[in-house]
Amino acid sequence: MSKRLSDFRPVFVVGAGLHPYQKYSPTPYVALGVTAIREALLDAGVAWPEVESAFVATALLGMAPGRPMLRHLGATGLAITHVENASASGSTAFRLAAMEIASGQSNLNIAVGVDKPAMIELGSRQAGLDFLERERVAAFTHFALLAQKYAHEHRATPEDFARVAVKNLANGARNPYAQRREPKSLQEVLGASPLAGFLTPLQSCPIGEGAAATILASEDGIRQLGIDPRRAVRVLSSTLRSERIYEDNSGFDAALTEETVRQSLAEAGVSPSALDIVELHDAFTVEELLYVERMGLCDPGDAPRRLKAGHFDIGGDVAVSPSGGLIAMGHPLGPTGLGQIAEITRQLRGEAESRQHPNAKTGLAHMVGVGAVCAAHVLRREA
Amino acid sequence: MSDRLEHPTLYEASGAGPPVLLGHRCSQCGLAGFPRQSLGCEGCGAGGDNLKPITLIAGGKLVSFAVVHRHAGKDIAAPFIVGEINLNDGPLIRCTLSAGTPSALTIGQDMIGVLEHNPAADASVRELRFKPEQAS
Repeated sequence: MSKRLSDFRPVFVVGAGLHPYQKYSPTPYVALGVTAIREALLDAGVAWPEVESAFVATALLGMAPGRPMLRHLGATGLAITHVENASASGSTAFRLAAMEIASGQSNLNIAVGVDKPAMIELGSRQAGLDFLERERVAAFTHFALLAQKYAHEHRATPEDFARVAVKNLANGARNPYAQRREPKSLQEVLGASPLAGFLTPLQSCPIGEGAAATILASEDGIRQLGIDPRRAVRVLSSTLRSERIYEDNSGFDAALTEETVRQSLAEAGVSPSALDIVELHDAFTVEELLYVERMGLCDPGDAPRRLKAGHFDIGGDVAVSPSGGLIAMGHPLGPTGLGQIAEITRQLRGEAESRQHPNAKTGLAHMVGVGAVCAAHVLRREA
Repeated sequence: MSDRLEHPTLYEASGAGPPVLLGHRCSQCGLAGFPRQSLGCEGCGAGGDNLKPITLIAGGKLVSFAVVHRHAGKDIAAPFIVGEINLNDGPLIRCTLSAGTPSALTIGQDMIGVLEHNPAADASVRELRFKPEQAS
């Protein structure tokens, strides 16, 4: 039988840092990444030469951007691995960094995500197969189709979807790293011309630039490097799955999330009701409604009512995307999954300042990448 | 019907009946797929030799739809409607719907394929679209 992360030695997040997510600027990616890394090193209280292995997540920068960035921290000869897994690149880099520590190969690793907007050709477009719709169906139209189906099944209204954006934009307004930092009313979210179906621009995540870094350590690393164990956050599980064929052609979106999160929670020994923080892939508002239900945070069809009643607010039953999520914090691709880990780490330490969810102990990070792949990690404050 | 088709590798006319989509069926697991390919079965992994070319009748149930206001396609003017159709012959496809209003659409209704002129494209070219079956 194959082994799980928890079958190996414990892994902890000991440092997190970001460069704020923002619209495209002339700033080179190297400067974005170095900013996030230096903040993460400072947060962990470790020096760069102690880092044994770096996992660099990008989806848009092209071949081998890691070393031109990392050399500015000091050319220590550490291992460098580049990770591309679409929107889940950062989550996958985190998973690989954690597995390497769990296996005993290293005691202190970094996972850093960095990206700048760029036009690239998806692998699926180069696969040699034609499609009926070609460029007529953008990503937001895929999710508009999901929204229409959800509305039909659960009698949801355009307001039900828009409330996800209202909540997450309010959270993002309290996050200095967020790309969108202005709260918006329901009327403002709904007032703009739609992209497709119910979905208006503020219900769609901005694709910008930024960087996020997390530093991971073993217990040996924490002890040897004098890292404060009270601020270390345990990585309880790491799960990565991909789309398969689902019964009745129901599509991968919700089903892939359900099976990935279920597996990750089971590996962690955590029930959905025990989650205090959830950072999920809300690239489009409908996703939050679908995913919280399939994660087991509420019954099918009950997400709009719970959202409206504040159950998913900071201070509610479970804070969903207290960072602002992809809708407000932004979605620069490579960094996004690591930005989720950074937010959860801060929340579990009690260091999230004005976004702090009271008494947060356990968190879930969830990302979907085009393809489709899905990554889930469960983290817990142990001290 | 002597007009050219926009995607002749994906569908074709079929006499007096609805158009057909060009797909395949796996001789090992029976899964029907679209578009047609010969690399391997997504259902069971059987090699391409097991994927037998078949035609799939352009008819099925409407799973969802959305009015598209923005898109990157250069061959059609927005707004238009895209639908997801669960073909009676197996695969789920996405296709542009015939001109009309979304109020005429109901999830779960029967849809049928038609080969239509795209007003924004060459008048000699027809493309596959779907419309409610009762409107045919």
